[in-house]
Amino acid sequence: MKIVVAGKGGVGKTTVSGTVSRALARAGHDVLALDADTNPMLGVSLGVGPEETDLLVAVRQGLETGETEHEQTTAGFVERFGRDAPDGVRLVVASRIERANPGCTCCGVSPESLLLELESDGKIIIGDLEAGIGTVMRLQEGQADVVLVVAQPTAKSLNIARRAVEMADDRGGRVIVIANRVRDDEDLAVIREAVGECEMVVVPDDAAIAQADREGRAAIDVDENSPGVKVLIELADRLASMAVPA
Amino acid sequence: MRLAVVGKGGSGKSVVAATLARLLARRGHRVLALDSDTLPGLSISLGADVPDDAPLNAAAERNEKGRWHLVKGVGPARAVQRYATDAPDGVRLLQLGKTDKRGLAPNRASHNAFYQVIHRLGDVRSLDDWVILGDLPAGPRQTAFDWAPYARRFLLVVEPTWQSMLTARRIIRIAREQRDDAEFSLVVNKVTPEADVQRAEQFLGVPLLGTVPADDDVRAAERAGVALLDLAPDAPAVHAIERLADALDVRNIDRL
Repeated sequence: MKIVVAGKGGVGKTTVSGTVSRALARAGHDVLALDADTNPMLGVSLGVGPEETDLLVAVRQGLETGETEHEQTTAGFVERFGRDAPDGVRLVVASRIERANPGCTCCGVSPESLLLELESDGKIIIGDLEAGIGTVMRLQEGQADVVLVVAQPTAKSLNIARRAVEMADDRGGRVIVIANRVRDDEDLAVIREAVGECEMVVVPDDAAIAQADREGRAAIDVDENSPGVKVLIELADRLASMAVPA
Repeated sequence: MRLAVVGKGGSGKSVVAATLARLLARRGHRVLALDSDTLPGLSISLGADVPDDAPLNAAAERNEKGRWHLVKGVGPARAVQRYATDAPDGVRLLQLGKTDKRGLAPNRASHNAFYQVIHRLGDVRSLDDWVILGDLPAGPRQTAFDWAPYARRFLLVVEPTWQSMLTARRIIRIAREQRDDAEFSLVVNKVTPEADVQRAEQFLGVPLLGTVPADDDVRAAERAGVALLDLAPDAPAVHAIERLADALDVRNIDRL
């Protein structure tokens, strides 16, 4: 099964991707977490640590400086540009480019084509997409079984979420809106109004998630029983029930 | 004063940039705000209108070889004069244009015009005493692709979180690689009692210009999609951004 996570920068895409990945892995699934953001941070939310997360970027930059050899197969790509994260999650950084130097565009692999090429064969693949709507726009039918659109109660994030939902709907697959950092009914009302009558999961504003962000840890490691983390673990259960058993 | 506001998505770049632009304008500075984000941001936080089609589309055309250039008779000065729009408090706003359903294609002329104009702003004598303040899209990408050539100082808006700090460090590295004269100032935003401001300062090795507290007024303005200054002119965050303006003014803005 392939899941992609989209939304404006800073809405909590990475927290959602990281926490759901960990929860799925704890439930016994084989999880491949694909960081497709040009500013890759998924490692932090998975719990591999901030500096370790930055090292993965350095490996990719090695391609541009010629220190790292190119990789032609997706299996080799997952092996060489990835690392293991807690609970057995495999993390792979597949960002398009970071440096100004022209040349290597990730061994010619775009996150979208990589999603298509990677075989799920029992695995659950979670793609943490680049902020904005470009990646959803380029998404082809069949590349994702589920699109999680993360939104928070701000006009800017909802502008993006609304368009991401429309585009994801057009491309088939199941769309679930993650209403993040919700404090009150008014927060929920503005999100509901923007995205309409679609499937929605409400993640309350959560002190444990804020603490995880401050400390550079996985939210699930800070407090797996906090209200926000619990909702994300339940979401993982719901997603797992959609996956074809291995 | 020539500033580019940079940082991670959601760190509050646009709110800081917009509020700072309007406060500087209220102090009598002439302010040109540059919005190079294809997603809604600065214009909303300024309280300015977002036109459906970027006015700058009229400023560029393609020659037979497919190359974009500014239309005849339009240099950077005239482009700013003609195609910047009015924002509250007398701020002038030049917009790259927003992505819509049709993608980036309808605004290709605008993108090219914008890029050429910002690369030639230094030649525009009439803007010499203006404050030029650009709000860059999230992350390191535009910095890497040279979308802030006018900036003499990068204002790094950073939340006291690791993701935000790592992003800022990536931006600093890229900017330094391209521009050895680039200067940086740190603004730590959304500061709570638990936040460690000093850690951010030490981690980035950049002098702190000031902090902005976590503020429910900002949350309310962002929820409503209006300018902070219009919704809550007396908010703690506004006062904090006033102090940022003070700090920039004290440094003799013409040298920045």
